[in-house]
Amino acid sequence: MRNDPDPILLEVFKNGFEAIADEMALILMRTAHSPIVRDAMDFSTALCDAHGDNLAQGLTTPMHLGSFHDAMRHLIGQYQGRIAPGDVFIANDPYLASGQHLPDIYVVQPIFHANRLCGWAATIAHHVDVGGLVPGSNSLGATEIHQEGLRLPFLKLAEAGVVNAMLMEIIAANVRVPDLVLGDIRAQMAAARAGERGLVDLVNRYGADVVIAYGDALQDYAERLARAAIRGIPDGIYGFEDEIDGLGENPVAIPFKVRITVGGDEIQVDWSGTSPQVRGGINAPISFCKSNVYAALRSIMPADVPNCHGYTRPITVTAPEASVVNARYPAPCGARGITGYRIVDCMFGALAQAVPDRVAADGAGGSTLPSFGGWSEDGRQFVFSECIMGTWGATSRHDGQEGVPHMASNQANVSVEMIEAAYPIRIERYGILQDSGGAGEFRGGLSMVREYRMLADDIYFGVRSDKSIHPPHGLFGGTSGGPALNLVSTAAGDRTLPPMPVDRLTLNRGDVFRHVMAGGGGYGNPLARDPDRVREDVIDGKVGAVRARTAYGVVLGDAPDHVVDVAATRALRAARLPKSSEFQP
Amino acid sequence: MVDGYRISADVGGTFTDIACLSPEGVLATCKIPSTPDDYARAIVAGVSALVRQLGIDGNDLTELLHASTVATNAILERKGARTALITTEGFRDLLELRRIRVPRLYEPLYEKPVPLARRRDRHEITERLDSLGRVVTPLDLAQARALAARLAESDVEAVAICFLHSHVNPMHEQQVAAIMRAALPTCFISVSSEVLPEIREYERTSTTVVNAYIGPVVSGYLRSLQDRLRESGISGRLLMMQSSGGTMDVERVIVRPATVVESGPAAGVIGAARLGGRAGYADIITFDMGGTTAKASLIEGGKVVSTDEYEVGGGISLSSQLAKGGGYALKLPVIDVSEVGAGGGSIVRIDAGGGIKVGPESAGASPGPACYDAGGEDATVTDANVVLGYLNPDALAGGAVPINGTRARDALQRVATPLGMDVLDVAYGVHRVSNATMMRAVKAVSTYRGRDPRDFTLFAFGGNGGIHAAALAEELQMTRVVVPPAAGVFSAVGLLFADFEVARSLSWSRPLEAEALDQLEATLIELERQALEEIGRDIGVGLIWRAELRYAGQGFELPIDIPRGRLTLAALEAVRDRFEGEHERSYGHRLPGHRIEVVTLRALATLPPPGARTLARAAPGGIASPITRRAYFGRSGGLHETPVISRLDLDAVPRAGPLIVEEYEGTTIVPPHGFATRDAHDNIVITLGRDAVDAQ
Repeated sequence: MRNDPDPILLEVFKNGFEAIADEMALILMRTAHSPIVRDAMDFSTALCDAHGDNLAQGLTTPMHLGSFHDAMRHLIGQYQGRIAPGDVFIANDPYLASGQHLPDIYVVQPIFHANRLCGWAATIAHHVDVGGLVPGSNSLGATEIHQEGLRLPFLKLAEAGVVNAMLMEIIAANVRVPDLVLGDIRAQMAAARAGERGLVDLVNRYGADVVIAYGDALQDYAERLARAAIRGIPDGIYGFEDEIDGLGENPVAIPFKVRITVGGDEIQVDWSGTSPQVRGGINAPISFCKSNVYAALRSIMPADVPNCHGYTRPITVTAPEASVVNARYPAPCGARGITGYRIVDCMFGALAQAVPDRVAADGAGGSTLPSFGGWSEDGRQFVFSECIMGTWGATSRHDGQEGVPHMASNQANVSVEMIEAAYPIRIERYGILQDSGGAGEFRGGLSMVREYRMLADDIYFGVRSDKSIHPPHGLFGGTSGGPALNLVSTAAGDRTLPPMPVDRLTLNRGDVFRHVMAGGGGYGNPLARDPDRVREDVIDGKVGAVRARTAYGVVLGDAPDHVVDVAATRALRAARLPKSSEFQP
Repeated sequence: MVDGYRISADVGGTFTDIACLSPEGVLATCKIPSTPDDYARAIVAGVSALVRQLGIDGNDLTELLHASTVATNAILERKGARTALITTEGFRDLLELRRIRVPRLYEPLYEKPVPLARRRDRHEITERLDSLGRVVTPLDLAQARALAARLAESDVEAVAICFLHSHVNPMHEQQVAAIMRAALPTCFISVSSEVLPEIREYERTSTTVVNAYIGPVVSGYLRSLQDRLRESGISGRLLMMQSSGGTMDVERVIVRPATVVESGPAAGVIGAARLGGRAGYADIITFDMGGTTAKASLIEGGKVVSTDEYEVGGGISLSSQLAKGGGYALKLPVIDVSEVGAGGGSIVRIDAGGGIKVGPESAGASPGPACYDAGGEDATVTDANVVLGYLNPDALAGGAVPINGTRARDALQRVATPLGMDVLDVAYGVHRVSNATMMRAVKAVSTYRGRDPRDFTLFAFGGNGGIHAAALAEELQMTRVVVPPAAGVFSAVGLLFADFEVARSLSWSRPLEAEALDQLEATLIELERQALEEIGRDIGVGLIWRAELRYAGQGFELPIDIPRGRLTLAALEAVRDRFEGEHERSYGHRLPGHRIEVVTLRALATLPPPGARTLARAAPGGIASPITRRAYFGRSGGLHETPVISRLDLDAVPRAGPLIVEEYEGTTIVPPHGFATRDAHDNIVITLGRDAVDAQ
């Protein structure tokens, strides 16, 4: 049967496995306590086979897509022979458990049927705090992982169905907001139980042998689909270089270099030439690097490739030891999300050469992560962090999207009214910024702007952002998007912060933090843009009349109709066309 | 007049279904093609035809109940009003930025839905409240007046107003609304604190904008329908189904059209709850399968489940929450229906990995399945059902739709050959794969909420419900399937049995604790008073108090009924118990001692419909001559010479399958190991064993 699965039953099982992973995700979301899990949905769920390879992943966070594999291997290797019904495992450490970074806590449950291990229900969630130097546990200034919070190797959170109360107490004592953290851990346990129930139902219905055989068949099937998709990509070597702006007050660029080799139905991705690991919390463990490579490649495959481990088999990832994409102990990793985003962006930069119609120009570069912590007037400690997102570059078919997550994540924003009801913060602006998108035949998405006014004194503040110095690139003649900006306005005046300040910052009542994300890159020659589209942008206030002329060579009449002056436009464009590549945003 | 005839019209994209109920409960139905250029035409024609057929007069109709896709279509086809949005300064783009999350992953070419109010039509006003409703920045009245003057010069047809924290203090919104109403007398004005006075600015703004966008279209349609009915001599009160499952006067719908977007699906579920309940089935999963999609919903103890996590115009989405962002958020109570892209027209294909896929692409009504012989080449679920012998190979709907069985077989053969499979096995495979997809719809409303489908009856309707129900039930190990009379026009039937309903709600956001009891009670009494005032009577009215509760810190609520009357400490404990019980049931755990928050309070006032409470039984009769057809039930079920019978051939004595029950509106399949009866309400009841595994 292994060699000859029934395509009908295979589809039935694929549906069944996916339904289980989705159910787990829904339960985790509905019962979670922290905004970052329940609203921003920074978590993932997976149903894994008995080897720990995922069969299906809930529709949640792409950059978690490959994150279960290495951790599950680690767990199974470590506990071989000591895995029993009623066990629940917990871990978060990148080095001791092949994890992601300390805030990402895994809660994983083996699924038994008649004492036979049939699979695993796995969850990972970004916790709002796991202790360490700063509220939110994502200190850019950390220099070793020991400063980043509570480290958990794989431990039994429950044994024979009994929760280890001592372990829960240790966790509670080491985090700033124990109610939220324990609440979210319980939500993860509820999701894992739902996964167990779902798989046991399938086993009861079809028998363990059939379920396991079709799990294997699904991995093979996904591999076949992936290989077919890779055969559709022209063979060749595609390279790209990108950078993160850098850490601290005087940032030094952190280079990324990828080399993608497509040959037949296999892909090799090598990161030689990428920066060595850095003294700051943005180093990525190799498992996270692989996750992001998988997610980028998954994005150029057909929509119906199952999100199971099998599709990653034709993909090989290599990276230099002790680099920013393959960190070695004790490199800190707390804010390594930015490195994941750049891995994906770098991949897309290279893939644009291979499949120009299937990727977008560079976007905002991943969520900006402001964190605020302090004490409310009622004497309670608070930690608030959220993700500001996001804008995409343009594609060969349409303008860059505005108000979207980075391709590698799929998080949500947090309601302004909910924030203001819970924290001493007022959001004074949330919108997009005129003229901030890269010019092109298709325009890059405009920058997001969000402004926070402090309503209490002595609020800890940190921010992780990027692309202030190296804004998003355009493609095929499209220009770069506008740069990012961090601005703090106090009674003493305005101060521009670097993209990733490492020192502790304090804000007081009345101070305003304004963040502008980078804008998306354009696609194609701006002088080829349909003048009517430029006019529509001007009417909508997305592009100003001056930029319509300077960047697009389009001359418009007065408000409110801004009629295109066809003759003047033609003349202006004709005069500029030969040196169009010199256009600046 | 009180016990006159009542008539209903359910308008879909392809067909308009009409059902008429006599005072004695005798049902008459008809199905005619919809007239999309002017939906009212088909309604008037169908109603007039039924009135003639019954030999009654238009004046004998006391009520006309209506469900329609007119609101949804306005959004899907982008034919709503040009809508302006007025927001708090700094938040012009709130509507467009949405919640950021996208419904599909790994798609660099994804495009977001275009906002219903364009950026040029979104305007900021200087004003600001804090989260307690206190004024931080006073409203700039001059600015509002200047804006009103500008809008009056434009061709804007509707105005939505949504300011931050207006659910706590509507003052600024009301002031601006008054200015707009004075300056723009013909515009539809939609105010967030009136449409949805609840926290979360994006959802409130989006709901208010949807209401504005469809307002002029819906009110124009309803007024024209009313006039046309009167001209045709059809009097009686016109009521419309709301997405929540209760009916409402058209005059109220015209003010708040966003409440009726899901009227059609709601009508079917309500029909199942009422008629199923009266036939003794209190715990039901509805299964409504049509040409493009299949829908499922849960009814527990006779009560439907509502949600307000809903989007309109997002295409087919499997129980919403994970896949949000593809449509327009509409946070008003709607019956929780999950939908998957599996219907009779769903197309079968083979992918690059040798897997077999069914849907969500659909052959639609045109060209339709290959067997319609109207140019469709792709094999569809209906073609598979013809090849399997489930559907009549010559004609459907009593001859109205001719069928070419050879085309069905040829289309399936094109799938079977590359797979090296027998055409019958492929057809059965298509049947199973579509069932596997539909299982996800059923699971989304049951196991995802901690409910075991085996504790429920599968209540099947829609054009294809009876064909797939038994096999779907077997996959889910459910043991009872009910197919009601007139299953093919069941939403129209359901309309006749819905309660009239008025709901009043308020965002409350406070802990559920002893100190809050007096205020909780006072608020509910006030909401109830408002609901009663609108319903205009106090005799025979059903009253319900409900709270949306969650553990402090969570982001999602569970609706819990609160005992009406004096709220004592004992009542508080009872509510707490109910919430924790429901939390444990839905999610598998409770948090004893953890603080519980009230998020929303709601009072409902309902009036049962007048007239018959159930359908009268059909007059006895039977099929002329016994005929059979070869039908295939997979390798384990086998190929059988299967009797083709009518509903009335069944009675209380169980009859062993396989059987094919053919009726004008649809076909019901009883598998080989199932047993069929007809109950006291003329429902077909199929009983299934637990041993039918076709896995090997």
